[in-house]
Amino acid sequence: MSTEKTYQFSPHAEARFKELETKFPQRSSLVIWALHLVQEDVGYIPRDAVDYVAQRVGVAPSWVAGVVSFYSMFHEEPIGKYNLNICYNASCYLMGSDKLEECVTRKLGIKPGETTPDGLFTYTRQAECLAACGKAPAIQVNEEYYEDLTPEKLEALIDELKKKG
Amino acid sequence: MAAPHEVRVILQDFGKPDSHTIGVYEAGGGYKALKKILVEEKDKWTPDAIIEEVKKSNLRGRGGAGFPTGLKWSFLPKGNDKPKYVVCNADESEPGTFKDRYLLEELPHGMIEGMIIAGLALNSNHGFIYLRGEFYLGWQRVEAAIKEAYAKGYLGENILGSGKTFHLATFRGAGAYICGEETALLESLEGKRGHPRLKPPFPAVKGLYGCPTTVNNVETFAAVPHIILKGGDWYAKLGVGDPKSGGTKLFSVSGHVKNPGVYEVPLGLPLKKLIYETCGGLREGRKLKAVVPGGSSTPILTADEAENATLDYEGMAKLGTMLGSGGLIVLDDSTDIVEFTYRIAYFYAHESCGQCTPCREGSRWVQDVLARVRAHDAQSEDVDTLLSFTENMGNGTTICPFADAVVMGVTPIVKKFRPEFEAYLQRTEAVPSGT
Ligand SMILES: Cc1cc2nc3c(=O)[nH]c(=O)nc-3n(C[C@H](O)[C@H](O)[C@H](O)COP(=O)(O)O)c2cc1C
Ligand code: FES
Repeated sequence: MSTEKTYQFSPHAEARFKELETKFPQRSSLVIWALHLVQEDVGYIPRDAVDYVAQRVGVAPSWVAGVVSFYSMFHEEPIGKYNLNICYNASCYLMGSDKLEECVTRKLGIKPGETTPDGLFTYTRQAECLAACGKAPAIQVNEEYYEDLTPEKLEALIDELKKKG
Repeated sequence: MAAPHEVRVILQDFGKPDSHTIGVYEAGGGYKALKKILVEEKDKWTPDAIIEEVKKSNLRGRGGAGFPTGLKWSFLPKGNDKPKYVVCNADESEPGTFKDRYLLEELPHGMIEGMIIAGLALNSNHGFIYLRGEFYLGWQRVEAAIKEAYAKGYLGENILGSGKTFHLATFRGAGAYICGEETALLESLEGKRGHPRLKPPFPAVKGLYGCPTTVNNVETFAAVPHIILKGGDWYAKLGVGDPKSGGTKLFSVSGHVKNPGVYEVPLGLPLKKLIYETCGGLREGRKLKAVVPGGSSTPILTADEAENATLDYEGMAKLGTMLGSGGLIVLDDSTDIVEFTYRIAYFYAHESCGQCTPCREGSRWVQDVLARVRAHDAQSEDVDTLLSFTENMGNGTTICPFADAVVMGVTPIVKKFRPEFEAYLQRTEAVPSGT
């Protein structure tokens, strides 16, 4: 892998990291923040970023690797450009989230945990309630919430995201 | 517009345009409590006086456990040999709960002012807001609000010329329900895996970075400025039920009601009124089947039990359940209770942190047995197995109450709706009950 460039913060992430360094009395608090910055940069946590974060924060690489594997929002492998997180929890179930899951599979041909071959969509079954139960069923696509969904609205959303590419 | 029975204190600016900005908050009396403490009545408001006022209000923690807030604050040591920290639990992820998300996105300044006041009460110069990683908009709004508060001199050094200092920073979690448990949250805030700590020592003595810390919920902090401004007695009297439950409470209502949403009502309101009047009742032609009163970890109430339930800590205890986070899930007679239970079990199985064996193995077992029931592949003994978990997981066998939450969330449903689980054993096809 010697031809691959090793990861380092983008200028934006670097500036954010420097600011965060002033806010926490102990540096270990920066581990999770730094991983968020990495993921904003490249969409997942590459192996060399684990070492990089460890070195920047000043903890062991095994500490950082343990954190990456513990938290479900950190991806160890690249995922689709749009991560369709469909809430599987109680209130969304009551309000018809199964129809949303069917819709994704029908429209994109993927099951939970899978990514479309073009790398555009990943379908994630969200075990944790998204705290959007009052407007269930709800999904989260990357940072954005979409609530009060129907299969029709979800289809339209997927079409729109496809067009954006 | 407020719905029937709503008494809007924390939510007074809810629904106004730009409610998240400092201008709207100040126009409604925001940061006046801080000015009262630091400028107008500065001799009166010693740290002890602030804590006494909060005690008088009977404010109890809104994160789920309902522990009296003033009392919790009084547990922090008075000396200054170590820094002290004020931590806001904005990890909201108890299924059925979504009030904190609204507060973070729409009304962040109430929580911020409450945290500053807590800092003054506890002689702390540092606060941290731990937000659930999924709350991106909420995080942006909170960051913007913190900047506004710094610019106005409400945060930082020499606040309003008082010589007092309070700094506030945000922290984003990354997808782990357990980090809502306060000691797991502190571990996470220290950059580690979210494994709950053994208690004691409690965070009041040994919390963040081993220093005295208070951890409180977003809604708890948001109530504090109103208590200082209008008095603890005034706040306590807003409650209409048991005097030990003071004030108003936010309820997140979801499921089969006409108007789901976040509502602020006096503690002690009959549950029936919230469902049928505040939330507009059930959908046409439907009957009530059950209510989960305080998030998925609180024992379910049947329609009969819900009939006479009162929305305060004591009223819920009388029915063997809890007010929890106020995450109310309403189920009508179209609900397939087996599938509903499975969804809750699926969630717990995914979210056990894995530290303690009874919890890690137990929550998986509960899910597996329910998966068999749901697939019509279970024996009648399996239903008894589901009930037997009560003795084997939770009950002090684990470091934190997660395992108890699984038991309380699942077992009462199986007990109270047992015939529907048994019907699944024999049927060959899933038919929602009541249809
Ligand atoms: C498994 C588990 C999950 C919890 N999740 C949350 C949560 O998401 N938000 C919260 O405020 N409290 C949560 N709590 C309660 C906290 O441990 C703690 O009691 C609370 O933050 C204290 O604040 P309060 O006194 O203001 O309620 C959880 C507790 C447990 C055991
Ligand atoms: S159950 Fe889906 S957002 Fe709460």
